[in-house]
Amino acid sequence: MKRVKAEHVQTNPRRVRKGEAVFCYIIMAIMCVIALFPISWVVLSSFKKDLLADPGFTLPQSIYLNGYIKVVTKLGIWKYFANSFICATIGMLLSIVMLSMASYVIARFNFRGKHIITACFMATMFVPASALTFPVYNLIKGMQLFDTRTGLIFVYACSGIAISFMVIRNYFATIPKELEEAARIDGAGYFQTFIKIMFPIARPGIFTAAILQWLQLWNEFYWASLLIVDRSKMTVPAILSQFTTSFSTDYNGLLSAIVIIIIPPILLFCFFSRFFIEALSGGAVKG
Amino acid sequence: MKKTKGRSLFIFLFLLPSCLCFVLFYGYPIIQIIVTSFCKWDYTNLAHPEFLPSGHLMDNYKYIFTQYPYFWEALRNSLGWALVGVLIQVPLTLIVAIVLSKGLRFSHFARNVYIIPSVISSAAMGLIFLQLYNARYGPIQQIIHLFDPGFTDSVLLVRGVNFWAIVFAYVFFCGTTAMMLLGQIHGISPELYEAAKIDGATGWKREWYVTIPLVKPTIKTVTILAATSGFLLYNEVYFLTGGAAGTKSISFIIRELAITSTRTQYARANAIGLIQLLIGLLMVALINFVFGTTKQRKRGQTHEKG
Repeated sequence: MKRVKAEHVQTNPRRVRKGEAVFCYIIMAIMCVIALFPISWVVLSSFKKDLLADPGFTLPQSIYLNGYIKVVTKLGIWKYFANSFICATIGMLLSIVMLSMASYVIARFNFRGKHIITACFMATMFVPASALTFPVYNLIKGMQLFDTRTGLIFVYACSGIAISFMVIRNYFATIPKELEEAARIDGAGYFQTFIKIMFPIARPGIFTAAILQWLQLWNEFYWASLLIVDRSKMTVPAILSQFTTSFSTDYNGLLSAIVIIIIPPILLFCFFSRFFIEALSGGAVKG
Repeated sequence: MKKTKGRSLFIFLFLLPSCLCFVLFYGYPIIQIIVTSFCKWDYTNLAHPEFLPSGHLMDNYKYIFTQYPYFWEALRNSLGWALVGVLIQVPLTLIVAIVLSKGLRFSHFARNVYIIPSVISSAAMGLIFLQLYNARYGPIQQIIHLFDPGFTDSVLLVRGVNFWAIVFAYVFFCGTTAMMLLGQIHGISPELYEAAKIDGATGWKREWYVTIPLVKPTIKTVTILAATSGFLLYNEVYFLTGGAAGTKSISFIIRELAITSTRTQYARANAIGLIQLLIGLLMVALINFVFGTTKQRKRGQTHEKG
């Protein structure tokens, strides 16, 4: 329903007065400057041979690519992308499957303790990760998972409960009860009803939660920098914290490395911007 | 009889994994920080935390409030960042969402560009801003030189100024929350705007009297997110100043006490964690109070959603 309405508005833009339009374009220009200023300065500067001789926001005199060549050949940047991708994706899948199951049961069944469990899941939204730093660190150490990707995935699988739960449960709640009853009458068990009927129907809601969760984990820095010390197992955000020391005065190398690190997420976003924006503006995230 | 048994088993099995995760990563750690904040537990007795002697139970808190040199600095900064988040980010998010909702030409382009900083993570943005603020080659330094040619310090090391330097590294990038709000604005039915037009509410009046009241629940969510993310700020502090020159945040001192310090103080870190948790909850309650959303109105909203 919501999406139909949104499209309706987009294709029939509300009439905008001239003065209003000018204001809007000014704001849009400022938005672009805000977003692009830091990135474009880094890109420009990464091509400069001697940044100290020519600082500031100027075009490079000649294009100097040694920084890039060094970064690509020596740093092995793909390893970190692979780590990030593995941790974010497996963590996301585990948490989404788990929460889809729980959300389904909570949205469609009545049982004792339902409200307590709902309250607990929602309360996690207000529990900051940093407050639990030592207990979680200790727990991962105790499970012999410190400095392993498995440990990080484990933490990721258990984070972001509240948002995913809310999004998926709200979606399940909109599905008409008759569908389930029909399946039950046809002799499908509870588990089969879930796998064959409810899960496929709820896919859009689950997909929204999955994208939000994945984006969150892909950018996650706090646990990634805390639970992994071995460089070869680090994710992209965590390796960024090592850059300033590992490049020390090699400004050109440092800036080239930053550019290479930010390109894949930007490309990914360009290809899938529709999904990201749909997920973010899905309307399911509401107070 | 058999049927209900199967039903209970199904419910139990489907809830089990999530509940286990909750207990393991939220329930147990929260109980641990509460209990151990009354213990003596530091690098000398990692394996055997023990309760502080009676009469001295509150010693960790006493230490944090009166002796620990960074607590008040961190609390002041974190609360400051929360306040700045609310005062700058919320109006900014609202303006961005309203401007984008007009469906003008290039608004899709502006929207996609504006979201990029949120996609490349706050860690990368932190590192980029570290370069922008660099005293030897950063463009910010050059801008400062236009006004004060004698300035040779690093902005990140000047007390007071560095608070704002950190603010500018994150406060303008609210693409994700602006998208949430934009989705809600698009969901407002066009008939309502028609009706408003008849009543004479056009232009900015229309946004003020129709759009903003209708998306108020989402504005509340955006406010909560801005306040809590400012209050919990860690990445920017870590990347930009490393906590130097009076920029420590609550999250930063917790991690320092619990992990990075050479004389780790687990119990005290947990006590600060508990304080952080409680202040966070208090903030959320306060925002809810200010927005004055009663339970009934909320329920009405969820019905509309369905």
